[in-house]
Amino acid sequence: MKKHFALAACLMLLTTLTGCGKQAENSDVSGPNNNQNNSKDSVIIVMGVTSEPEAGFDPAYGWGAGEHVHEPLIQSTLTVTTNDLQIAYDLATDISVSDDGLLWTVKIREDVFFTDGEKLTAEDVAFTYNTVKEESSVNDFTMLDRAEATDDYTVEFHMAKPYSIWPYTMAIVGIVPSHAYGPDYGLNPIGSGRYMLKQWDKGQQVILEANPDYYGDKILMKKVTIVFMEEEAAFAAVKAGQVDLAYTAASYSDQTVEGYELLRVESVDNRGFNLPAIPSGEGIGNDVTSDIAVRKAINIGIDRQRMIDNVLNGYGTPAYSVCDKMPWFNADTMVEYDFEQAVTLLEEAGWIAGEDGIRSKDGLKAKINLLYPANDSVRQALAAEAANQMKELGIAVTMEGVGWDVAYDRAQSEPMIWGWGAHTPMEFYNIYHTMPETGLAEYSPYSNEASDSYMDQALACGKLEESYGLWQKAQWDGNTGTAEDVPWVWLVNIDHLYWVKENLQVAQQKIHPHGHGWSIVNNVDQWSFEQ
Amino acid sequence: MNLHRRKHAFLLLILAATFLFLIIIIGFLCKDAAMETDFVRKNQSPSFRYPFGTDWMGRDMFARTAAGLSMSIRLGLFTATISAVIAFMLGSIAAVMGKAADAFIGWLIDLMLGIPHILLLILISFACGKGVRGVVIGVLCTHWMSLARVIRGEVLQLKQSGYVQAAAKLGTSKGKIITIHMLPHLIPQFMTGLILLFPHAILHEAGITFLGFGLPPEQPAIGVILSESIRYLLTGSWWLAVFPGVSLVLVVILFDYIGSMTRRLLDPASVHE
Repeated sequence: MKKHFALAACLMLLTTLTGCGKQAENSDVSGPNNNQNNSKDSVIIVMGVTSEPEAGFDPAYGWGAGEHVHEPLIQSTLTVTTNDLQIAYDLATDISVSDDGLLWTVKIREDVFFTDGEKLTAEDVAFTYNTVKEESSVNDFTMLDRAEATDDYTVEFHMAKPYSIWPYTMAIVGIVPSHAYGPDYGLNPIGSGRYMLKQWDKGQQVILEANPDYYGDKILMKKVTIVFMEEEAAFAAVKAGQVDLAYTAASYSDQTVEGYELLRVESVDNRGFNLPAIPSGEGIGNDVTSDIAVRKAINIGIDRQRMIDNVLNGYGTPAYSVCDKMPWFNADTMVEYDFEQAVTLLEEAGWIAGEDGIRSKDGLKAKINLLYPANDSVRQALAAEAANQMKELGIAVTMEGVGWDVAYDRAQSEPMIWGWGAHTPMEFYNIYHTMPETGLAEYSPYSNEASDSYMDQALACGKLEESYGLWQKAQWDGNTGTAEDVPWVWLVNIDHLYWVKENLQVAQQKIHPHGHGWSIVNNVDQWSFEQ
Repeated sequence: MNLHRRKHAFLLLILAATFLFLIIIIGFLCKDAAMETDFVRKNQSPSFRYPFGTDWMGRDMFARTAAGLSMSIRLGLFTATISAVIAFMLGSIAAVMGKAADAFIGWLIDLMLGIPHILLLILISFACGKGVRGVVIGVLCTHWMSLARVIRGEVLQLKQSGYVQAAAKLGTSKGKIITIHMLPHLIPQFMTGLILLFPHAILHEAGITFLGFGLPPEQPAIGVILSESIRYLLTGSWWLAVFPGVSLVLVVILFDYIGSMTRRLLDPASVHE
């Protein structure tokens, strides 16, 4: 008896406490760096807790070259991506590729040293690539056969198959020193990049210090402290004025915080859902979405701008593909919202509305169960909005939150809200290209021979610039393409939002890929505080 | 002491029970409204139209709270009843079936009580695939021990009492002794234990759902509502936590109250008060 009252009392206390959170928030957040040492060359940045690299700063275990790609900061890379996602050089001084696409020859700078004083040579580059090929569990390096240093400053990549977009891979693999690499490299990374790891308090913060011997442009920001916090803690830290830049979500965007501005960075961090394109059988496929009329109708019948206004408070851009705004995106595949046309499509295909407003065809109800990752409130809201809009089309949609343990399997037969977006066309390939074992694409059953062939040609193509056109043709060549088949409906690109101290000048950002984390600090060395 | 007080208790009990029953009904009627999202009305503070406000997807929080409480109460009723039956059976078996059975059940009770409640609940719920099924099985497996122990003690004591001994000497069969002589004596204990299990079950259902191991996020459940509300407290949406939280506490207190009233009405020691 007593126990129950105690429990009840605790809960009551809890609710009242949280109820007056507004007054409490200023006092109960003690950031790791309370002393406001905002001298002009050090910056405190808040990222989400999932951004902390679990296995440390080792490229073989996903640092920079993982699920979320970004510049590795501590290490140098051979190439870099420019603001418009073209390729430029970092360590490399010249890149050439053989006519058959199987041999890449890269010449590198001769004036680069690791922070332990050793010279960076082609040997280190070859070692790095052979290591990531062996070790990497997060990124695919099967296209590489082996890397070989032919002299001190020339490295050759022998490919297993032609891979024209290799320079995009070179932009994310940080070069590690062959003499100082071991199992604990992730904890004590030595590189030749802009920053050195000074301190890492696991679960809390990472402190980076500028590399005094860096070979590139002058580093303006000498010290970078990165603190990992949950969204609500990050916002509390901003309200308390403890940090210089903090990530935030659209749900906080209507707030104002004195001394801070909301920074909006465009992204290719898209959200969309798959529509299984084959009839159901053997646990995969879906009888409703296998009808192309249904898929097309959904694609043009969803008002993306309304979705952005409703769910993202306007902070997003409509998405038409997995690679919007990238050099390999085919702009002809953008669709206009056309409700009438969508209804016409459905009716012409025999989907007739019943008394309850739900369409059906030959006794089959237009019913969809839309999945979303259970811990992602933005995707939940997108699913709800998509469900509301599809209901207007006469398609009944139920929603279900699922864990990642079952999501991949269930998405083979049911639509699911996904998030993608990377700085390489390989992602487009991974989503739409068929797998040899099944003859279907990996994440949602679908196949198109013509598109497959364009993608294969694009990878085999000698020149990167020429391959862009082939990637575009895979999307739409005037006759067919992935955009015509609509195995995926792309909804929005989510703007990455940050609270930024008013006097902090954040350097121009390239379009952010999927992952609201390290991308923002790609060029932190060029940030500055206004005096 | 006087009949008036007894009548009073009885009236209050009826009132509390009716109120809880009403919540179940309202929750049932609100089921569709609770799932409905409408972004036009998102983040509204409490008003005449939406007494509990709306959340970030424009869901009516009153409907969600009512539906959530209704589900909690139904889940609580179901799990508490089954738990109490399990407790009753195991408790009486331990007391009547001899030393070996007693030792085994005593060991089982100690074992289950030894593992932290919420931990076991999370494990079981997770292993059963979460969702309603996970929660039900989890709560069922973790809430019978205390009551089983009480019943066992009670039965042991009854076995030694004069009238049971006399009945045995007179040749009454074991089954008859249990059903005719022991059962009526156990009913007050059983009923009180059963009703006092409700708040426990409800709080634990909300607890594991809050922690993300229970009901899925699209369900209107109190645990889901409270864990979602955390995100929005900083932006000033206090109504998302306060009303559902207070409602949950209210329901729990009501059940507790019903429990003590029932005991007062049924327990021979206080029945003439």
